[in-house]
This record gives sequence, C-alpha cells and structure tokens, in this order.
Amino acid sequence: MTLDSFIRCRGLTREYRRGPEAIRPIDQLDLDVPAGEFLALMGPSGSGKSTLLHLLAGVDRPTAGRVEIGGVAVNELSRHRLAAWRARNVGFIFQLYHLVPSLTAFENVELPLLLAPLSRRERRARVEAALEAVGLSDRMRHFPRELSGGQEQRVAIARAIVHDPPLLLADEPTGDLDRRSATAILDLLRSLGRRGRTIVLVTHDPRAAEVADRVLHLDKGRLLEAPA
Amino acid sequence: MWLPFRYAVRNLGRDPARLALAVLGSALVVLLVMAADALDRGVRRTLRATGRPDNVILLGAGSEESVQRSEISPRAAAIAEAGIPGILDVGGLKAVAPEIHYMAPLEVGGRAGFDAYLRGGTPAALLVYPNVALIEGRFPRPGEVMVGRFAWRRLGVRPEELRPGAVVRLDDVPLRVVGCFAAPGTVLESEIWADLNDLRTIARRETLSCVVLRLRPGADPADAELFAHQRLDLELVALPEPVYYAKLARFYAPIRGMIWLTALLIAAGAVFGGLNTLYAAFAGRVREVGTLQTLGFPPPAIVVSFVQESLLASLAGTILAAVFAVIAFEHLTVEVGGGVFAMTAGPGTVLAGLIAGAALGLIGSLPPAVRCLTPPLPEALRTG
Ligand SMILES: Nc1ncnc2c1ncn2[C@@H]1O[C@H](COP(=O)(O)OP(=O)(O)O)[C@@H](O)[C@H]1O
Ligand SMILES: [Mg+2]
Repeated sequence: MTLDSFIRCRGLTREYRRGPEAIRPIDQLDLDVPAGEFLALMGPSGSGKSTLLHLLAGVDRPTAGRVEIGGVAVNELSRHRLAAWRARNVGFIFQLYHLVPSLTAFENVELPLLLAPLSRRERRARVEAALEAVGLSDRMRHFPRELSGGQEQRVAIARAIVHDPPLLLADEPTGDLDRRSATAILDLLRSLGRRGRTIVLVTHDPRAAEVADRVLHLDKGRLLEAPA
Repeated sequence: MWLPFRYAVRNLGRDPARLALAVLGSALVVLLVMAADALDRGVRRTLRATGRPDNVILLGAGSEESVQRSEISPRAAAIAEAGIPGILDVGGLKAVAPEIHYMAPLEVGGRAGFDAYLRGGTPAALLVYPNVALIEGRFPRPGEVMVGRFAWRRLGVRPEELRPGAVVRLDDVPLRVVGCFAAPGTVLESEIWADLNDLRTIARRETLSCVVLRLRPGADPADAELFAHQRLDLELVALPEPVYYAKLARFYAPIRGMIWLTALLIAAGAVFGGLNTLYAAFAGRVREVGTLQTLGFPPPAIVVSFVQESLLASLAGTILAAVFAVIAFEHLTVEVGGGVFAMTAGPGTVLAGLIAGAALGLIGSLPPAVRCLTPPLPEALRTG
C-alpha cells in the first residue's frame, strides 16, 4: 500500500514559534492515501486540520518532513514551480468559498483554465461542463453576491474541478451551510470521488463518515484511526 | 498565467467613490503638469516668435542682455540709416525705428503703481514690426499711447480701464489711450507704446534704448554688425533679433524651472495620497489575492492586474485633463516674469500629461500591490 500511495507524508512537522514558545499543530505525522481514495479528516477546532491541508496543497511549507503527491516531493519545489504545480494538480475548496466577488460564476470557474494552454472555446466548454456537474448551468452570469451560500460553494467546487486535478482538498466545505445545502455538497463530493479523484475532506460533520472511504482523526499533531 | 483584463476593469467598479477620487485626483495632477508644459512652451514660443530674422537691434555695447539698461546716442538712428546697406525701404521711408524702453509705475483709473512696460517709438515702428496690427484706434501722437491687447493683464487692471478713450498717467503726465494693437504670439502684446519724445521727456533721458532695423529680404545682417564694429564712437552692438530673444529666454530659464518644480512637487504629493488610498483598498483584498495564488496565479500576474487597474483610473483622469486642457488653454494667457504669455498646448503637452498620468498610476499602485502579496499564503487565506 505504501508503494502506490498517491499522497505520502513522512515525519511531517509544522512548527509555529512565538518567542521561546513553539507549537506544533502537525508533529512527526505520517500519512498514506492511495489514489482515488476519499479520506475524511476530523478533529476539534485548532487541531491542525487546515494546516495539514495547506501542507498537502503546497500552500504552506513544512518545518520538517516530506510531502509527496503523485511522486512529486512538493516540499522541495521552488515557489514559482509550486504555483505551477498547484495549478495543474490541486483543486482547493474553502469553508467560506473564496469566490472573487467582481467576477461572475462563469468567470470564477474559468480562472484555473487561464493557467492552462486552452483556447477560448475549450475553456468555455469545460466551464459549462463543470457548472453543469454542480447543477448551476442556469447561474453562469450571476455574481457571487447574487447566489446563496450553498450555490456559492457549488461554484467553488466547479472551480476546483474544472481543470480536472487529481487531488481535491476541501477545508470544512459545509461548515457555513445549513443542513440541506451541506448534504447536497457532501453528495456532490461523493459523486466526484467516484470518478477516481483523490479527495481529502476536512470536516466537523459526522455524516462525512458516511460519504468517505476512510476517516482519520487529528490529535496532538498525529493521525489516529478512531477518536482519542 | 495573466489575469483577464476584465478583472482589473471590474475591480475599478468595486468602490465608485474611490474610483471618482482616483480619476479626478489624477486629472488635477495631470492638468497641472500639462499647464506647466503649456506655459513653458508658451514662453519659449513667444520669445522665438518675437525675434524676427530680418530685424537687427542696435544696442549699447555691454547692454546686450537688457534693452532697458542700454543707452545709445540719439544720432545713432540717422547714422545707421545712412551707413548700413540693405535696410528695407517702404515708399521712401526707411525701416529704422529708434526706441526707448521704460519700465515705470503707471496710474490707471485713478489708482497708481501699476508696473508697466512702455515703449516709446515713431511710426517707423510699424515698418519694423509688420506683425503689429491695430485692432482699434490709431498710432499714438504726442500725449497719447496705444496698448497691446494683453497689457491690462500685465498691469492687473480691468480691460475697459485701458480701452481707447481712457486716460493713464505716467509721472503725473496724462496720456490718452487712442489705440489697441495685436502682435500675435509675441511679447509686444503686453506693452504700452508711447510717442518717442514724450517718453524721452518723462524719463528725463537724452539717449535712446535701441534702434531696430528691418532688412530687405536676402540682405546680410553681417553688414549691420560690421557697421557697429566700425563706428567705435557710437559704442554699438548689432544683434539679430532672434539672437537677442534667445538671450532673453535665458532670463526666463529659472522661472520656467520653478514652474516645473512646483508642478512636480504637487504631483509627488498626489502620489503619496494615491498610495494611501490604494494601500487601504488593496489591503481588503489580501484573502482574494491568497485565493488567486492558491489557484496557481503567480505574484507578477496579480501585481500586473492591480497596476492595470490603477493605470485605467489615472489614464481616464489624463484623458479628462487633456480634453480640458485643449479647450481651456487655447484662450488662456498668464503673466510670468513681467511678460504675458499664451498657454501653448502641443503634442508634447499631451505627451507630458500622459507620462505624468502613467507615472502616477504606476508609482501609486506598485507598492500597495506588492504589500498585498507579502502575508504568507496560509495567513492570507485565513483573513476574514
Ligand atoms: N500563522 C500562525 N502562527 C501561529 N500559530 C498558528 C498560525 N496558524 C495556525 N496556528 C495555530 O496552529 C493550530 C492549528 O490551526 P489550524 O490548522 O487552523 O486548526 P484547525 O483547522 O484544525 O482548526 C492552532 O492552534 C492555531 O492557533
Ligand atoms: Mg481550519
């Protein structure tokens, strides 16, 4: 299993220093996720879930240890190459959607494609397909302020999958939504997971266990199979 | 890897008040820079236009810099007329104009102390200055004056106070205004012309300031210079007018420098003001910029987009300023260093405005854009 892991972390540590004090939300963490797995990461607030996700996405850098994704040592890439790597390999979904308010749903979803060598027509076709997949074909010209929270998150998911990245990372994507919208988002993620993507979902939501292939708990910087 | 242009355009619309401020602020600064350039151009063009290549000025040796200080013998006019070949002859009258230049306080409309530039001459003046055209009244006889059409502005009086029929007083001598003349694009238009002998009496001087000759087309000004060299007794120098006004232009150099310095200092102040508003505006986009970077947009793409946004606003202001300048400068004259000059906007003026507008947009937005990119990505993504 270790050999064909899509995500492979070894001795992963992220330390924050404030004066003489040092905290390690991630401490000597090992993680293996096979390609195509839907992994749910749970843990109390402040346990380091976002920090781990940022390390996996190449948004943050570890203080020590290794992150390998699809055979690439992400922690060794230069800032410039890391940005290019993210553009091709990662779809990131945020709790608060993080849509660009001055762009329409269509334009938000198109953003990742602007970093790929695609014609305008190809981009258009892909954006339409992605918005179709999240059920928002009729909201393409809407600005984020004209959408509900659940719709905004679906646009954000379309933006995260439009360039078809092998890795999808979601940081409490339902944390700000009502129950019904949350269920819809979880269902959506599950259907995306069935298409062979590797997904890491950070959540408080106990129902996540139902949609995920595996659930891990983050505790004192390490991962456990069951809550401590 | 670049963000779409419409992202910059839409960002402009996020805060209409800030947009209006940015456009109007840059319009004002650009207008100021264009005004400085137009004024500078006006001064240079006027001095160049005033010096006619076929005119030669005879001045007292040693006073080449200032006709007011120059003193030459009253006989010089007649001797020059006889001694210099090639002087223009109009219906038997030689184009030789003896002149007295006199700066003195004038009493206008019962109020004293208006600093006037007076030129005393004979009707021959009209032969050497063919660009002087009476637009009202006639050439002055003893006890009279005619005024350049912008003399009122130089004096700082109302135009009607110098209209024909008005009476001004020079050293308590009443002089009736009988004419008004134009000499487009030259310094003459801010002068007051009087009768030569009147001025000689009032100024209590025996000497002339200068003699101006107009040569026939093709005649050689070197002949006049040779004459000045040979008549050592008259202590003259002969300067072609363009040479004389080029020297005068040097007198205006420091004033022009001050105009530019003022304009640039104010522009620099505006850059700091713009910096401040953009720091605030871009600070609110830290999370958005973090998101764009997470998607894979490199920092240069974000800086370029923010600079585009700022340039759009400052160039809109530039266009506004340019339109205003083209309309307003056309009819604007300004008093500088004792002369009255018409603002002269040219393609170079628009270029100066464009450079100022672009610099404003660029310098004003680069530091805030870079500052917006400084927080580490995880922190940027966490900001509210
Ligand atoms: N930039 C930072 N500086 C110092 N401490 C930080 C920083 N970012 C996060 N932390 C700390 O790391 C811990 C984990 O944070 P986070 O990963 O956001 O937790 P979670 O997402 O599980 O709620 C928290 O104690 C938090 O205060
Ligand atoms: Mg978190």
